[in-house]
Amino acid sequence: MTSVPRPTGPAKNLVLFVVLTAGIASGITIFSSASTMADWIETATSGLFLPILLSLIVTFLLDPLVQVFERAQISRTASIFAVYFILLVLVMILLAMIGPPNWKSMLDALRADFPRYIARVLDYLNNLLSSVHSQFPYLEHYDISGKFRQWAQEFLGLILLETPRSAMRIGSLFLLVPLFSFFFLRDSRRIMRNLISLTPNRYFEMVLDIYDRVSWQLAHFIRGRILEALIIGTVVWLGLSLTDIRYAPLLGVIAGVTNLVPYIGPIVGMVPGLVIALVDLGVGPQFWWIFCVYLLIAQVILDNFILIPILISRVSNLHPLWVILAIVMGGKLYGVLGMIIGVPIASVIKIALLEIRQYRSTFNSTRDILLSRRN
Amino acid sequence: MDPFWSNIFRKPGYKATLAYFLGSVPIFASLGRRDLNFLETLVHLRNYHPGETIFAEGDIGSGMYVIRSGGVRIEMKDEQGENRVQADLEAGDFFGEIALTTPQPRIATATATEQTVLVGLFRADILDAVRKHPAIASKILLGLTRILSQRLQHAGLRLREQSYSHLEPSSGEQP
Repeated sequence: MTSVPRPTGPAKNLVLFVVLTAGIASGITIFSSASTMADWIETATSGLFLPILLSLIVTFLLDPLVQVFERAQISRTASIFAVYFILLVLVMILLAMIGPPNWKSMLDALRADFPRYIARVLDYLNNLLSSVHSQFPYLEHYDISGKFRQWAQEFLGLILLETPRSAMRIGSLFLLVPLFSFFFLRDSRRIMRNLISLTPNRYFEMVLDIYDRVSWQLAHFIRGRILEALIIGTVVWLGLSLTDIRYAPLLGVIAGVTNLVPYIGPIVGMVPGLVIALVDLGVGPQFWWIFCVYLLIAQVILDNFILIPILISRVSNLHPLWVILAIVMGGKLYGVLGMIIGVPIASVIKIALLEIRQYRSTFNSTRDILLSRRN
Repeated sequence: MDPFWSNIFRKPGYKATLAYFLGSVPIFASLGRRDLNFLETLVHLRNYHPGETIFAEGDIGSGMYVIRSGGVRIEMKDEQGENRVQADLEAGDFFGEIALTTPQPRIATATATEQTVLVGLFRADILDAVRKHPAIASKILLGLTRILSQRLQHAGLRLREQSYSHLEPSSGEQP
């Protein structure tokens, strides 16, 4: 019988040392290479998040239109081209009729006006503070207005810095988004079918069924949300352009986008409009009209009584606690963009989970019926 | 016709395609070539090992299967809970079509007896087709209805035969 001689004494220690060193070294290598890989992936995909998100939104919006053409026995690719062409013509006509909203001069003017608005808000804050200080003298050393000023200057600097860069980015969006959404529209079905066909035979039917329900609900929800934001934005724009307020189109966009976030979004979307109205127009009938447009017409009447009941099912309602969590977590991950899309993504997850649970419960109840029938 | 010309106009190997195979299934018999090509994009091809369960009694069903190659055994449990073979199906046969329109639990167990390729057509895809291509979808559903009503009639006749055969001797015994 032969046996491998076991190392003893110093030799044993040496083996232990070599093994430990090798283990640590390979651990460090794996860890660092993993983090460089993650870095690479992050760098490679950093600019793609927004275009892909926008393309998905466009895809969800255009899909029903493409289906209309498909129903007339036109191939899917041709239908997508037809929809693109019609949209292009519509945009052209719209531009020719009312002329493009002058975004650039509006941005320039806003850049010039922004310090003025900030200064007014600061004045107001200081007045408020001095009255507060006279009543609660021990709050003296808490410098709210200083903090606010610092924050505002940082924000202004960010705008100044980002504008040329974001102009580039917007230019690339005009190229990337139609391209991506074309392929999403054409091939999403095939891609999803290929993914689903990877499931094992035993679960295939269930996965296919659940996917069908979830995707239908999700498409419904996402389409509803986007339409809601579009309508709210347009109504705010129209309502504001009845007054002398400047930046009505921009404020409409802000109101529409922030409307994607329930509870908090509409309030945040209201603030810039109200500040501009206060500074430029003062408290008067116009200010109260603007206030009414934001709160009463857009939020209460249009959103609560008309749009939400029609477009969005109650299923997707999130508890306010989840809304706040989604905003905070989205903000940590992707900044302002993450804050806005965090809540819709949380709703999407909720819808998917609810659908799966409902499917499982019907599954179990029908099985019970079958078993009881046999007994 | 000159074989030279006939070869040009017939797509080579069409008989080997999935579309041609689907056209030979009774449910899809009334579909034209274009419709069959569309149906081909709707179905799923699944491979099964010998002895693998395709679905079990009590599973929630969501579609039908056509056997492209191989064999499938259909079994049902009787009162004692013993499995009893109902049918041995082979290539070209189809099963599970009742679950295509409504989600119902499977009433039998289907098992592959050899290496089997199945063509699955499921409710989710049919509903999708109803929305996007109503004309073709209605042809498919009409074919399904035709098969189901034939079976219903057949079952009704058998039921009547059985009830008469039950009645006749008892009426003969009585004076």
